[in-house]
Amino acid sequence: MKHDPYSLTELIRNEEFIAWVMHPDELSDRKWQAFLEKHPRKRKTVESAREYVILLAKDTGRHQPTRKQSDRMWSIVESHMHDEVTKTPEPVPVFKTSRGHGWRWARVAASAALILSIGSVSYWFYYKKADGPLQEVAVREEADLPNTIQKYNDTEKPMTVLLQDGSSVVLQPGGRLSYSEGSNRKRREVTLTGKAFFEIVKNKQMPFLVYSYGLATKVLGTSFTIDASSESKDIKVEVRTGTVSVFSINNLDNSQKEAVLDKPELEGVTLNHDQRIAFSKESGKIVPLPAAVAASSDKDVSKQQFVFDETPVSDVFRILEGAYNVRIVYDREKMGSCPLNATLIGQPLKEKLEVICNALDAQYEVADNQITILGKGCK
Amino acid sequence: MQIATSTGETKDHDLWRRIRMGDEQAFTAIFEKYHRTLYNYGSKLSPNSSLVEDAVQDVFIDIWRLRHNLAEHVTSVKFYLYRALRRRIHVALDKFPSMEEISELDDEDTPANHTNSEAILIEAESSSVRAQRIQELLAQLPERQLEALTLRYFDDFSIEEIAEIMGVNEKSVRNFIYKALTSLRQSREMLLISSLIFWMLLFF
Repeated sequence: MKHDPYSLTELIRNEEFIAWVMHPDELSDRKWQAFLEKHPRKRKTVESAREYVILLAKDTGRHQPTRKQSDRMWSIVESHMHDEVTKTPEPVPVFKTSRGHGWRWARVAASAALILSIGSVSYWFYYKKADGPLQEVAVREEADLPNTIQKYNDTEKPMTVLLQDGSSVVLQPGGRLSYSEGSNRKRREVTLTGKAFFEIVKNKQMPFLVYSYGLATKVLGTSFTIDASSESKDIKVEVRTGTVSVFSINNLDNSQKEAVLDKPELEGVTLNHDQRIAFSKESGKIVPLPAAVAASSDKDVSKQQFVFDETPVSDVFRILEGAYNVRIVYDREKMGSCPLNATLIGQPLKEKLEVICNALDAQYEVADNQITILGKGCK
Repeated sequence: MQIATSTGETKDHDLWRRIRMGDEQAFTAIFEKYHRTLYNYGSKLSPNSSLVEDAVQDVFIDIWRLRHNLAEHVTSVKFYLYRALRRRIHVALDKFPSMEEISELDDEDTPANHTNSEAILIEAESSSVRAQRIQELLAQLPERQLEALTLRYFDDFSIEEIAEIMGVNEKSVRNFIYKALTSLRQSREMLLISSLIFWMLLFF
């Protein structure tokens, strides 16, 4: 019906497009950016196609087993591992077909009747109210959409994403972060699904906002964790340092939203360090949670204190490597034993490196997968 | 900055090699890595969760039981697992022809675009409901369209692989996906039309 090879439907099923959305890399990024430059009118289509692909991926993956089911499956598999003689049990099929045939058709007929009468009205209400990812993007793309960048952590280790403003985000496995890099913007905005730890550069003029399933988390500069997994009903926000505000953006219309987002003040529920809340995706309610029991997993970046007192630089780098899952290359002979005094909690990775390099009179460089420290060392 | 240790494929092949040598840890790792997505896929083939659980278990039990006879080189471990699961579930379903019959009928007869009245009538409360609505639409797709969508978008298989897993040709896979997307789009267009009607009612 349409011959446009870049219509919404065509994009959604275009293999290269899907690959770009799901696993963007430099090459595909460049290709699609070039495409957008050539066809600026396609920006909206591309943006909504992208959201559709993400929604489709999320929604077709919704039937994962519960913890209990997983455990049950594993215990049965495990019992067979050590019991080689046992025959594979027949699947126990004591069930009835849960897809009632007649009932299904009755439903179709009922739907048909209802659609004409109530359908359109309630549909409209539905959409007017619903403020899902698609619409959210639609709101923001009107402003301007420079280069949207997506990071998806499909590894089994944390991944550190460095943002243009110097902030760092440690994205846990399965997490997805998308954001736009552009200059003259009123605010810094990212969208998160999954879990991530944020360390944000202070900038009162440009609030930093994290969107996840209808929850906006607004900060001026601080560190905190957001856990917004697609499986979980709640989104959890935990503040490490500084102050953060959280509020639901579901019930705000666009102009209200713009106003709230732009204000330099913090809105809604305000959280201070070590406070936690849960936001229910369904009801949109925010409830406080008891402070987290200090789990002493010193690996997790969000739990690190980063307090160094006469600590040899080699130890400092080892801790940073572990926390951010990065590789730090330096001259161990010259610098390794230099002592460092610093408290680096709540600072983004780049700021930490700056502090360390200042103390060592050294420079650092960040190239795709490693950080190189150049310096003469301490005498 | 992003640091990936090794690609998923090479890692799988390594695990596969170790399973063939009887490495229990490697076997645990493969189970941990794939049982959830396999279960998810299985759920699109049968609504019966205990049947799906059993089928997933059996795929893994078989791998361990037959570990010494596993093919040395599998192109993709993931592909192997999915195909094995599909076979398992179909074998289980074959024993209950009534059920198979229904799923066949679903493929032919379900109109591509009927809207679930229940979905419409639910009062929208928040953003997640929006995503849920797409889920509702997905729930009404014919089984094989949903299966193809799942394999394509969630499991990230290529059209070629999906065709092989589903035992149809590539053209059919493209067709399933196209039809499914069209019905999503239609419901979107319907929304536009209905909101127009609503506005007209409001003004006159």
